[in-house]
Amino acid sequence: MTRAVIEANHITKCFGGLTAVDQVDLVVPEHSISSIIGPNGAGKTTLFNCVSGFYVSEEGEILFFGKPINSLPTHKICQMGISRTYQNIRLFGEMTVVENILVGEHVRLKANWMEAIVHDPRYRHEESESLERAFELLEYVGLSGLENTPARNLPYGAQRRLEIARALASQPALLMLDEPTAGMNPQETDEMVAFIRDLRDSRRITILLIEHDMRVVMDISDQITVLDYGLKIAEGQPAEIQSNQRVIEAYLGPGAAALSEKFKQKKAQHA
Amino acid sequence: MKTTLKKGLSSGVVFGIVFIFLLLIGFINVGSTMIGDLLGNTENVTSGHLPVNNLLLMLALMGLLNGISARRGLGEDKWWKALLGGLLAGLISGILAWLAIWLTGTLSMQGTALQDYLPSMDPEELNFLRFYSTPIAAANTYLIYFAAFSVAGAALSWLFSIRGWFTKCWQSCKSGVVNWKGTRNISGVFENRWVMLVVFLVVAVILYFLPILWGSYWNYIMGTVAIYIILGLGLNIVVGYSGQLVLGYVAFFATGAYTFALLTAPTPHGIGLNLWLAVGASMVVSTLTGLLLGLPILNLRGDYLAIVTLGFGEITRILIRSDLLTALTNGPKGVTDVGQPNWFGEVFSDVNYMHLLLLLVLIALFIAKRLKDSRTGRAWVAIREDQTVAQATGINTYRYKILALLLGAAFAGLAGALFASRNQFAGPEDFTLMVSINVLCIVIVGGMGSLPGIVLGAFVLKGLPELLRELEDYRLLVFGALLVVMMIVRPEGLWPAARVKFKKPSEKQMKDLATEVEK
Repeated sequence: MTRAVIEANHITKCFGGLTAVDQVDLVVPEHSISSIIGPNGAGKTTLFNCVSGFYVSEEGEILFFGKPINSLPTHKICQMGISRTYQNIRLFGEMTVVENILVGEHVRLKANWMEAIVHDPRYRHEESESLERAFELLEYVGLSGLENTPARNLPYGAQRRLEIARALASQPALLMLDEPTAGMNPQETDEMVAFIRDLRDSRRITILLIEHDMRVVMDISDQITVLDYGLKIAEGQPAEIQSNQRVIEAYLGPGAAALSEKFKQKKAQHA
Repeated sequence: MKTTLKKGLSSGVVFGIVFIFLLLIGFINVGSTMIGDLLGNTENVTSGHLPVNNLLLMLALMGLLNGISARRGLGEDKWWKALLGGLLAGLISGILAWLAIWLTGTLSMQGTALQDYLPSMDPEELNFLRFYSTPIAAANTYLIYFAAFSVAGAALSWLFSIRGWFTKCWQSCKSGVVNWKGTRNISGVFENRWVMLVVFLVVAVILYFLPILWGSYWNYIMGTVAIYIILGLGLNIVVGYSGQLVLGYVAFFATGAYTFALLTAPTPHGIGLNLWLAVGASMVVSTLTGLLLGLPILNLRGDYLAIVTLGFGEITRILIRSDLLTALTNGPKGVTDVGQPNWFGEVFSDVNYMHLLLLLVLIALFIAKRLKDSRTGRAWVAIREDQTVAQATGINTYRYKILALLLGAAFAGLAGALFASRNQFAGPEDFTLMVSINVLCIVIVGGMGSLPGIVLGAFVLKGLPELLRELEDYRLLVFGALLVVMMIVRPEGLWPAARVKFKKPSEKQMKDLATEVEK
């Protein structure tokens, strides 16, 4: 029995009169790739923001390895081992690529400002160690040679990878990816899928992701949670989700499920 | 053809309006006097009049600029088109000038007291602007000058562009520098420890001898610049690095100055503390003031923070001069006879003082540089770039913002102590909002977050105005114009900040450091 990295019970988040996330339960098992899917405005990103501490949920509790993280500020949550990326890439644009990574390592470093002025050996050792790790990480995500480019000058795909690298720099136990393949062509998407898988397999990181590309979701997910209008309408393995009536209706409209049944039957008859 | 005329028209209108504006504020006289001073062509002894050729020279200069600006961006063109554009620009600005001169001249000759409305329009000055002749004749001269020199300017600019002299010169300079850099590997040279040592020594020697050589007047001006460099470096930590717009920076400057003054002056308290201790105390008190301000308000963002801190700066000044605190601060009279620095009883001369200031500036630069390239500095810049994400990346943004404010306040406290001890006085009117704005302008004009930029900015904004005393009345005008131009032409500052370049540490380096740590 694997442990649960995230265990969220009855999460509710309202904006004014709109209940964006309504009594949602979510369990993310360790070393898994879990996905959250749902039509636009279903509350996926809101749920993400609740877990990473951007929003404080009105109801329910969120446990990270059994410890409650509900009302903690985001930097504490990051220190505990959750890091994330953003739907619309948010890098530190003026800073160079390697500096972005070094900021990501912030929580794993100790030097304070006085040591920075004095430059004692311990400080210099820590700096160069963190630099070494940063360069390794850049090599891992395939950004070697771009170390000193300002982050905002990178092409789109590279920015996505840098954002993931920055999230990885804090050595998280849980990595949350908000639409990692948005705006990518099929080849880039395949690379990203392989990359995410490698994160879990060789780095032993648990991954929770939001994704719209069904091909990606069905390909890599161990477990899928489907949201619609803030409610959890389905949960399970990819195969289960694919044949789930409510999910099909949520995506394609009422009646679509019956239609798809008919289509399947016809196909079977022809065969 | 159309663009040529359009450009000529707009340039002419702009120059005409600028001319009228300068005329109304009396700058034409000042400008021509300055030209006269420059050429050693001052007052005519026999007639008692200012020589008119200075004025004509100024007009010619404006005309030339007009012509050049009318051709800007047009590149290679037919010669007659260029001249036509210049002529149009000259005529339009000339007509505007003609109207202005004729109108002011006629009115003043009819006995209208124009100086009642505009102080610079007194009859004597207007007489000078009319070349001591009739309004019509003078106005015609303006028109002719503008037209002729505008055409000349256009022709000049056409010649330059057709021959490509300017571009060629620029290109060759640029490629020369690049080649030189490439062959000599200039940046590599500066990484060598010995080369840096020699450079440092040479700079140190120059900095040591300069204050001795250039006399007390220069020491005074450069002292002001040095104090503002320290202020700028402090505010740069807050605004440039961590991106918090604090407009009440003068509060910390004032606290530092007053702490120093009250601890060392004979009145009102007569504590007479050792000066070096008093400097330390100023920094500590300023830092505490920073804490007092920072704890409640640093959760605010952007405009809100700016306004609250703006109020804080003013409150500090008003409190200092209020009746409530007169017993403590001596109220509006200020604190006099503030202690001067001394070395075992011997009071510092202006040269010693300048040396002290230079030393402190170097230390401040060193500290600011080290902070910038550290984990702390990166956290600050991350907060400036995107506070929400910085926090989600594990940075305790609140704590880092407070740290930035405290360090900035400590710098200001130091600058305040130096300021008070140099002037031997601290009064509430030294600490107006203008000081905050000046320092902020140094940071912005110099280049946010850039250390050489701040040194340069302090020279430009505090040093130059002291040197151009004739322009004193127009200081604010020039200041405003400079800011507007800067924001359009070079929004990133005179010397924009460069991010530090990182290299992957070699294995040997890592090993050396590891053994060093073990020791």
